Amino acid sequence: MENSASAALEPLLSFLTFSLSTLESGFYKLPGSAVVARYVKSSHQNDPGRTILELILIIFAIRTLLQSRTRADRSGKHFIKFSEKEIDELVDEWAPEPLVQPLTEWEQKDLSSVPVIAGPNGPKPKLFSTGKTVTNLASFNFAGLAGNEQVKDRAVDTLRKYGLGSCGPPGFYGTIDVHIDFERDIAEFLGTEAAILYSQGFSTISSVIPAFCKRGDIIVADRSVNFAIQKGIQISRSTVRWYDHNDLKSLEDTLISVEKERKKRKGLLTRRFIITEGIFERDGEMVDLPKLIELKLKYKYRIILDESISFGTMGRTGRGLTELYNVPASQIDMLVGSVANGLCSAGGFCAGSAIVVDHQRINGTSFVFSASMPALLATSGSEAITYLRNNPSVLLTLQDNIRAVRAVLEKTEGITLLGHRASPIIHFCLRTQQQSLSVTTATYDHEAEERILQDIVDDVIANGVLITRAKHLRGQEMIESRPTIRIAVTAALTKKEVEKAAGVVKTSVTRILSKRR
Amino acid sequence: MTTTTSYLHSVHHADTFSIASSPALSLSSSVTAYSEDAIMNEDDENNSLAYPRTPPTSEQVFTTVHAEFGHCTNEAYRCISKHDYTRPVQEHIIEEPPYYILLATYMSYVILYFFGYGRDFFGILFTSHFTHLLPHNGYAPLKSSFDSFYSRRLRLRILDCVSQPVTGVPGRSIIVLDRSFTDNDHALIHTGGKTRSLNISSYNYLGFAQARGGCADAVEESIRRYGISTCGTRLEGGSSELHVTAEALVARFLGMEDALISSMGFATNSTFIPALVRKGSLVISDELNHNSIRLGVRHSGAEVRMFMHNDMSSLESLLREVISQGQPKTHRPWKTILLIVEGLYSMEGTLVNLPRIVELKQKYKFYLYVDEAHSIGALGPHGRGVTDYFNIHPRSIDLLMGTFTKSFGAAGGYIAGSKTIIDALRLRGHSGPYAEAMTPPVLAQIVASMASIMGVAPTSQQTNSRLSISRDNSSVVLKENAVGFPATAPASMLPTWMNLPPALADGSEARMRISRLAFNSRYLHAGLKKLGFITYGHPFSPIVPLLLFNPGKMCTFVRLMRAWSPPIVVVIASYPATSSMTSRARFCTSAAHTKEDIDTVLRACDEVGGIMDLKHGSGERWGIDEVCERAVELVHSHFS
Ligand SMILES: Cc1ncc(COP(=O)(O)O)c(C=O)c1O
Repeated sequence: MENSASAALEPLLSFLTFSLSTLESGFYKLPGSAVVARYVKSSHQNDPGRTILELILIIFAIRTLLQSRTRADRSGKHFIKFSEKEIDELVDEWAPEPLVQPLTEWEQKDLSSVPVIAGPNGPKPKLFSTGKTVTNLASFNFAGLAGNEQVKDRAVDTLRKYGLGSCGPPGFYGTIDVHIDFERDIAEFLGTEAAILYSQGFSTISSVIPAFCKRGDIIVADRSVNFAIQKGIQISRSTVRWYDHNDLKSLEDTLISVEKERKKRKGLLTRRFIITEGIFERDGEMVDLPKLIELKLKYKYRIILDESISFGTMGRTGRGLTELYNVPASQIDMLVGSVANGLCSAGGFCAGSAIVVDHQRINGTSFVFSASMPALLATSGSEAITYLRNNPSVLLTLQDNIRAVRAVLEKTEGITLLGHRASPIIHFCLRTQQQSLSVTTATYDHEAEERILQDIVDDVIANGVLITRAKHLRGQEMIESRPTIRIAVTAALTKKEVEKAAGVVKTSVTRILSKRR
Repeated sequence: MTTTTSYLHSVHHADTFSIASSPALSLSSSVTAYSEDAIMNEDDENNSLAYPRTPPTSEQVFTTVHAEFGHCTNEAYRCISKHDYTRPVQEHIIEEPPYYILLATYMSYVILYFFGYGRDFFGILFTSHFTHLLPHNGYAPLKSSFDSFYSRRLRLRILDCVSQPVTGVPGRSIIVLDRSFTDNDHALIHTGGKTRSLNISSYNYLGFAQARGGCADAVEESIRRYGISTCGTRLEGGSSELHVTAEALVARFLGMEDALISSMGFATNSTFIPALVRKGSLVISDELNHNSIRLGVRHSGAEVRMFMHNDMSSLESLLREVISQGQPKTHRPWKTILLIVEGLYSMEGTLVNLPRIVELKQKYKFYLYVDEAHSIGALGPHGRGVTDYFNIHPRSIDLLMGTFTKSFGAAGGYIAGSKTIIDALRLRGHSGPYAEAMTPPVLAQIVASMASIMGVAPTSQQTNSRLSISRDNSSVVLKENAVGFPATAPASMLPTWMNLPPALADGSEARMRISRLAFNSRYLHAGLKKLGFITYGHPFSPIVPLLLFNPGKMCTFVRLMRAWSPPIVVVIASYPATSSMTSRARFCTSAAHTKEDIDTVLRACDEVGGIMDLKHGSGERWGIDEVCERAVELVHSHFS
């Protein structure tokens, strides 16, 4: 009886052992299985209880771990098995390319033409190469804060109390009282609940966006946003819809179509964001903020607004577009600005509600994983805000100067002025039939235009005025924009001086362009 | 090696010199510990941190403030950080705690999750605290309750132990702003009180976080001369001669052909790595690499593969796999393979196995990028980082990256390599055209601290051909045979206005700092081991993680250490910075600490660790008094 039963079971048992061993060998064939096996073995340590505990842990870990992991797939489908000898041969044969492609002749020229300033930068800096003093229409010194003695004194006081570096990220004893004070100053200045300070302007928005926008969320963004925003959007892995540059009609159409799609799919309610700039770094256009807010409220989106150029330059006291259009800053969910540009210090901030700000203190990667800003740069920023509050006239001077520069350049043959007439950065490109900046089909020769513009820049510098081409990373930007020259107007020069400087630009443009013809 | 006497002599000389030569300088900041203004009046009670235990004798003159940078004249408390090639490179040793500790840790998580989810469940049903986690008004919640679970249910419980605000210099001691919970325990408010505490948490490895002394004087001078900002990006009118100077000095410091600097350490990785890889490139990354490196790789869109932390066999088998398999699907050979590792890992204290990696590099022909954020300045007999520690020529590595936030007490980061690569990065990295340039005060701190580590060599020949932001070939290119490595800083490379005090200029003070750091690091590692704790990391690593395992022990540990006299501030780390099973406290030693400070930390750990049942390490145990007495012997023994 027993025998027969075991005999009957025999084939079954042998089948079981066979399938087990095939399973096992199959498992070991899987790439990566060795690691798993080793891990299980090492954690098992002849102790089944531990393995079970580990299993529980793994379940927890998987639940809690972020879904986003950048492991390349090791799926066996395309895996070719080689013998060790073959691998050795392949390794020997493999010849890597150079790490970077060396600079082209034009890139070389581009790099060597970058101006270097000797001594302090400001309205009239000295060039390192020639030792000549020039009128500065290139550097970001909009409110004329560069070299401000009040700010310097405050910085030195701070240095003597705090030293320079903070020697730690904000979570690890890097949050200094001056950071807290400066954050409060910004929040009070703008009229938001709170603000958070990042140690570099460029890294601010590219960290703010992925802190809120996750996979599955919807971002509707201007096609022409700056590079930092593009990078933030890329990292967020959200669904992106682009609307035409600074065209709020196109924005509304996009918002409608997104809503339609959602209704059609009966999708869940996801987070939705509009991302745009106050004044566009790329061309100086300005967004119509009241209309934007109207759309946002109507379609229930949150706004991430990059005011890197407009903060510290626009409005009566430099609060930016919210002051200019007289809308409460609390209407803007995440208001991002630069301390480096507008306040002539360093870093960036994001202002918003307390929830928005606190969320970033844990989830803003470049906040969490980077040392906090040196104390004296934070107090310099605070001091700059005080200066702006107390001297509203500087921004009037700035506007006068902007008008003066534009007036001269508008009369210049051969170029097209871009941007809003109140923008403190003024871009111009060469005039051709194609007027729009964001052409995707190149009807112009990019490098040739860059060369002409560089000739103009060089000629202008030789004549005592510092300007610069707007530099872009060709091939890395989402859309290739027309090469432009960018002028940054400052309140530190008198109207006469900027007029004269603009005159130099005009003469040079005419001279270079006529030579070309 | 300098001796105490020569160090003191030079300090003394500096003092008398400055006072005698210019009366105006008596207002300057070359102060001893006793000048009034240097000691903040907040810390009357904690004088043990402000004043040395044994007052210095009349010949001893110190240029540092004791609360910032401790006075320590005993030459025995020094050590040289150098790899001993007679022994194998230390692997990452992971010591396991006893079974019940693990069980308790698992259970704590189970309980935390259970209660967390339970409270969420009922909270959403019955209270209004959760409106921001629910859709309202047609808006989806800003953060999902799942994503924020960690911060609401785990982090909130230890809120008083993290993100502690401070004031003053993050030097040997730091002033903590006291906080207390509000009534409903959901937020912290400042009480207005301040507590000076022993700081074993800041990344102040060489002790350059100082508000007084030669570096701070240089920074002040730079503010007066250059202002706060250079007003723009490097490529668009924000480049200053100081950038050029600093970049040349960094290249020379590291022994590389060229270097670039960027205004943020994090952004150095995240904005320049994309310019190093292109379509068809592969990045191989250590699984514990810093977030900034991962972000840079993600920005680049390149393929990335990871290997087990500092595990050379895992790396080699991965290399064999990827080179033989080629690109996914197409199996075309990779265009380039870039291996990115850190010199010293900030959470583990492990040191990269550089000798083996350089060997593998010969064979597998990948390019090598070493992030020396924590190791530069802190390791090696000359403070030149891991290459110096292992005595490997820096140019056998393609790219050396590092930050100035740690050892140099400044901010920002650098990348050094061949001129071709660095020039390409200047133009093609994201920072060049889009990110603000580094500010003059930060540049001055970097130049001053770095020059003092190198030692300034008075030179006559002027190298003034550095006209553009890319350095000319003709200018100061390191010629190994001519200057030798590690190189000194020729005086002509420094800004003319920068006058470092003699002790800084001749490099003696920096040598003292480097050897004190090595001593303190080894002492703390060895001491904790002998007391029976489980620690991670390399014996020379200034980062010393002390394993607590149980998440519940983290805040108790912090609170008990803070209650010690003098108060000690420590960093705790758990998930997501480390694996959730290995919650830990992390110490960062500094050259600013004296041997007595390390004694204090050890004594506190001994008692607190006893109360909290943390001593589960293997090996021989000593009593705390024996550890403190035989410190020098411990440091020079081969433990690990
Ligand atoms: C390995 C590594 N790289 C880069 C960084 C970022 O440096 P920073 O704090 O200067 O931004 C850190 C800082 O913690 C780091 O540990």
